[in-house]
Parts: sequence; C-alpha cells; structure tokens
Amino acid sequence: MISKNQTAQTASCEDGSGTMPSCAPLAVPYVPFQQKGAKKYSQTDALNNGTLFPGLNLPFRMKVPGRNAVDSALSELQALEFVIAELNLYLDTHSDDQEAFALFQQYVKMEAEARKKYEETYGPLTLTAAAADQRYRWLEGCWPWTDCEEEKR
Amino acid sequence: MFAYEKKLQYPVRIKNTNPALASYIISQYGGPDGELGASLRYLSQRYSMPYPELQGLLTDIGTEELGHLEMIGAIVYQLTRNLTDEQIKSSGFAPYFIDHTTGVYPTAASGFPFSAGALAVKGDIIADLTEDLAAEQKARVTYDNILRMSDDPDVSDAIRFLRAREIVHFQRFGEAIRLAKEKMDQKNIYYTNPAFDR
Repeated sequence: MISKNQTAQTASCEDGSGTMPSCAPLAVPYVPFQQKGAKKYSQTDALNNGTLFPGLNLPFRMKVPGRNAVDSALSELQALEFVIAELNLYLDTHSDDQEAFALFQQYVKMEAEARKKYEETYGPLTLTAAAADQRYRWLEGCWPWTDCEEEKR
Repeated sequence: MFAYEKKLQYPVRIKNTNPALASYIISQYGGPDGELGASLRYLSQRYSMPYPELQGLLTDIGTEELGHLEMIGAIVYQLTRNLTDEQIKSSGFAPYFIDHTTGVYPTAASGFPFSAGALAVKGDIIADLTEDLAAEQKARVTYDNILRMSDDPDVSDAIRFLRAREIVHFQRFGEAIRLAKEKMDQKNIYYTNPAFDR
C-alpha cells in the first residue's frame, strides 16, 4: 500500500513538480512522485511530444521543427496506442488512481474500434486478425520498417 | 510471451539516404546504452523483483524498449536504402559496410559488437533500480548527441520521440524505488535483500 502522504494528495504542487516526503531516510535515491490529476495532452499531442504529460515534456535545446506525426490512418491508431502505453506505465506506479484507470479503459475502447476499421482497409496487424480474414493476408502490404505510411497517404 | 504487432510505436518516415547518420544511430541498436541492452536489462531484472509494481513496470518498460529497438532498426534501414559506392566511401560508413553490407547488426557506433557487459542484473531491488535510473539518463544523453549530429528533420523527429521516452521511464523507475522502499524495512532498507532473503 502507498501511504497517504506519498501519492494520495491531488495536485498540491505545480504540474511540473511532484511530491516528496518532508523527512526521508538517508542513502536512498528519491525522484518526486507524480501527482494524481496531472495535466494530460490529447492523443495527437501526446504522440507528437513523446509523453502524455506536459509536466514530463522536457525537450533538448536542439530545436526540431514542429511536425504533426498524426496524419494517416496508421498514425491515428499509433496515437491511441501510445496513450494506452503511457497510462500503463503511470498505473504501474499509481495503481489506486481511479480517474487514470477510467481514462485507460476509455482509450482501450477507442483503440479497439480504430484498429477494427484500420484492419478492414489495410489488412491484419496481428495473427489473430489474420486468422479472422477471408484469406491469408498477413504477407500483404508493407512491413513496418519500410515507409508504410507513404504508400497509404 | 510476446506476439508481434505489424506496426511501429511511432512513425519512421525518412526520405533521404544518409549513411553517415546511420553509422552513428546504429549505436542505439547495439551500443552500450542502446535499446537492445535496455530491453534485456529490464526483462531480465524482473525475475528477482519481489513486488508486483516492480515486476509489472520492468515487464512493461522492457516491452516498450523492444518497440524502440524496432524503430532504431527502421531508421538505420531507411537511411541506408539505395546507397551508391561513392556515398559509402565518402560518408564514413565503409567500415560498417565491409562487415555487414546494409544489414542491421547490433553494434556500437565505435564498432564494438553488442555486449551484455554494458548492462547489469544484480538481483537486488535498490541496486537494479538505481542502475535503471542511470541507464535511462545514458540513453537520453546518447539521443541528445545524435540530435547534435543530425541534419535531417525526418530523423530528428523520431529521435526526439525516443529521447522523450527516456525521461518518462526515469520518472517511473524513480517512483518504483519509492514504492519499493515503502515495503522494505522502514528503519534500514539495507538490512535485508527482499529479492533473496526470506
């Protein structure tokens, strides 16, 4: 169990800050705990920034021209899946955050619908989907390391 | 077990051939702070972890790192498409080319092949998670350095995404240490090794 004074407090610090115990044992590394209710990006901004959380978006000084990676059926699916992956890691250390869990459930539902649509047009993403098809389409289309989306735009 | 999904975590769409960049970026495939080492480190450390939060986090981050390995492979593959002899000679890619042609091989940019010597599994909660904090920082610096060298916005875009993930992972490993500490001896977390002592 997480003790109350560690993570249960909701947003008592600024969004880019986390909570620390007032006294802590010596000789242990400490990283501030991310607070519940932290600000979150939309799925498009999350994928573009490499994190769901504005508070964890700490870019390097070398400016990379802003671009929107979400401009195709595949990247729309990738954006939904990215939010799920990010919430998965967050929930691993905040398993009692019901609000985040509800968001996780919501994105999993959206992803399942988007995946179904994507696979109907572009072919199976998994062997299970390949088996549900009329014929064996696993080998059709391009493999991920080639520039698939170029062909699909 | 692992089941393959026929897509990358983040789009890799590189228009221009650039063997010089490929010869640097290969380090994140098989170099000392690369994605192969990262996935092996976390997926191996998880066995001796005693608490579900730690087992889960190492499994989930280790799995994501395999996705990053695939992205780095895609970047190197796309940067070395349709190479001419002249491009190989003038770019510094020739030593790699001699050994591997344009195949994707796990090696450091400096030419040292992948080695498990660059990762550690100590079988102790604090030792392993502290190693993971350092590992995320070293990978972050490698991506900083690649961004310094990159003159191609298509490449920088994907590298910037991977760099952002290192910071999120660092945060989660830090939180994991805190969660573990709560479950360990409150007076002296070094009194026993909960991964071994019963």
